[in-house]
Amino acid sequence: MSTIAGGRAARRQTMRRIRPRRSPAVPLLIAVWAGAAAVLWLWWNNTPSIADNNSRILNAGRITGLLAGYLMALVVLQMARVPALERRVGSDRVARWHAMTGRYTICLVLAHLFLTMWGYALQSGKGLGQIVQQTIDSVNQLPDMGKAAIGTGLLVLIGFVSVGWLRRLIPYDTWYHVHLLTYAAVFLTFWHQLSTGNDFAVEPVAKTVWYGLYGSVTALVIWYRILSPIRLNLKHRMRVQAVIEETPGIVSVLISGRKLHRMGAEAGQFFRWRFLAPGMRFSSHPYSLSAAPRPNMLRITVKAIGDHSAALRDLEPGTRVWAEGPYGALTAGKRSRGKVLLVAGGVGITPMRALFETLPGASGDLTLLYRANTTQDLALWDELAAISKERGARLMYAVNSPEGERPDISADSLRRKLPDIDHHDVFMCGPPGFAQEVYAALRGAGVPARRIHHESFEM
Amino acid sequence: MKKNHPIRRFVLASAATVSGIVLLLALKPASDPAAASAQAGAAPQQTAAAQGAPQGGTAQQSGTGTVLGDVVQTEYGPVQVQLTMSGGKITKADAVQAPKGGTSDQKTALSVPKLNQEAVTAQSADIDAVSGATYTSGGYKKSLQSALDKAKATGGTSGSSGSSGKAGTSSAAPAAQARVVTGTVSDTQYGPVQVRLTVEGKKITKAEAVQAPKGGVSDQKTALAVPKLNQEAVAAGSAQIDTVSGATYTSEGYKKSLQSALDKAGV
Repeated sequence: MSTIAGGRAARRQTMRRIRPRRSPAVPLLIAVWAGAAAVLWLWWNNTPSIADNNSRILNAGRITGLLAGYLMALVVLQMARVPALERRVGSDRVARWHAMTGRYTICLVLAHLFLTMWGYALQSGKGLGQIVQQTIDSVNQLPDMGKAAIGTGLLVLIGFVSVGWLRRLIPYDTWYHVHLLTYAAVFLTFWHQLSTGNDFAVEPVAKTVWYGLYGSVTALVIWYRILSPIRLNLKHRMRVQAVIEETPGIVSVLISGRKLHRMGAEAGQFFRWRFLAPGMRFSSHPYSLSAAPRPNMLRITVKAIGDHSAALRDLEPGTRVWAEGPYGALTAGKRSRGKVLLVAGGVGITPMRALFETLPGASGDLTLLYRANTTQDLALWDELAAISKERGARLMYAVNSPEGERPDISADSLRRKLPDIDHHDVFMCGPPGFAQEVYAALRGAGVPARRIHHESFEM
Repeated sequence: MKKNHPIRRFVLASAATVSGIVLLLALKPASDPAAASAQAGAAPQQTAAAQGAPQGGTAQQSGTGTVLGDVVQTEYGPVQVQLTMSGGKITKADAVQAPKGGTSDQKTALSVPKLNQEAVTAQSADIDAVSGATYTSGGYKKSLQSALDKAKATGGTSGSSGSSGKAGTSSAAPAAQARVVTGTVSDTQYGPVQVRLTVEGKKITKAEAVQAPKGGVSDQKTALAVPKLNQEAVAAGSAQIDTVSGATYTSEGYKKSLQSALDKAGV
């Protein structure tokens, strides 16, 4: 009797401890839609009637303009590195939102420009053909339109270099620095909204709300993108301690610093790293922690794919490190079940290695499946084996056969290895193709989508 | 891990946006219900007044009086010019309506006096636009031209004054006894109010607001308050009328303009 009661109590306690932390994505999305509705209401309330086609065009221009102005603030907010977004919703999801909203906003801006100028052209007795002339006239005559024209030009440029195929052609750093011009573009286009916008002229409250919206986004950007990182780096003073080659092409960088456990980093999270070495100081890159943070030591493990990751191999010990973070939502907080399967593909082992070490769990609760091309590519294998032995966790690997045949990762094979796989939470990290394949296999094996936790930086 | 369908998403987003905007535009009425009630008759009257209403009562000396131009809509708001003519010449030009709110206030303050002066100097609508206020200038010129056309149409003879030439609504009384008096413009926090009265003898037979606050919630308030105030003015026969609750500023402005009209009419 007592054992059953004890078991039940213990289970209840376990369940309480591992209740998953809710992502605030749904309430945030509701707030965003409500804001859009409020913006449309502002237009509705200030527009008594629409008499003819000319005013239909002008009003369509006003609606697109108002929505673009609203979304522009959100596009910037999405990249303000607000912890609630980066750590709770997940950096990857927010980045996808940002890309989606950005594209949509640029389309709205162009529609607004075209419709408004067309409407004005009609009003002053010009045809659609003289729309360019009308645009020049309006830029010359209306307040703040010169600024708005420059800002719109910048937005178009930024949108252009972010188009998929073009973005792959230009170096990441160039793309990133062009992207930073967004701040200038938003600043330049802000003023014409207030000085020429009908709705802000007649509704002082709307003007105040607009200042509030853009003001708070600016404050968040300054706080989380500038001041917080400065404070973090002044406090922790990180330096490269050593660079270790794990396997051919994969290096670990050990980073020393002060009170590193106070940074609040969890296993599964990443920082954006900037190494203050020649040629590297102007770009920062996201790399996951490959071990749980220790008070005086952090470790990242990186595969040499790009220029930046290849240059890591030659870092001198003592190089100053500038880090921003921690970011990422792929942490223990996502977990909803006692049993956890970790799936790693290639260098995706880094966050999985940290989770494998730290996820709370009894013997037999944890399983790690590690996929690589060959056994030589299984970086950190010795550490994983040690952890598995110590914790009583299962460790499996899947590599190509000597003939180069791909291992079988399917619903059936997964169920064979883990008969109760549908009672697991799955954490997954790996290249996009691999993740897609495993995701399908997991769903086929009966794991519900809400229990598959995955970070993907594919746009 | 949802599959990405960029093209499908693009088409869906475009279709949703376009249909949403079209729907919003289609739901808006073609004419402004608030303005219609506030300015009902006002627009025809302006025309009537400008045309000089041949049967209008106290016709003055030939080519003398005031002529109202058409209301011209610009990007920043309506512009309407009123001319005071004497012997077929423009002696005074005023903008009864001009863009308001935001930077428009400054622009109006800057441009309208200049335009008024230019109109008197040029004696035609061939005047220069004030730089920095192109749209207002354009609207002003159009309205000025329409006022000149109207003055010409009546042969420059029986130009009606603001206190004469009320045509349309003279069904009740012999035209000769009816007078139309326009009160002064009374500025309120939400915009100008101007009352026009039709007076027969010492009685007010009709009261209207030629101007009333517009835009945003003002539209609703105007629609609510002005008809009531008009009715009260006719009933009271004086400016001793109750304010409409919820539209205090408009009511106060109305009463002031009403009083000035009554003073002019000598009631």
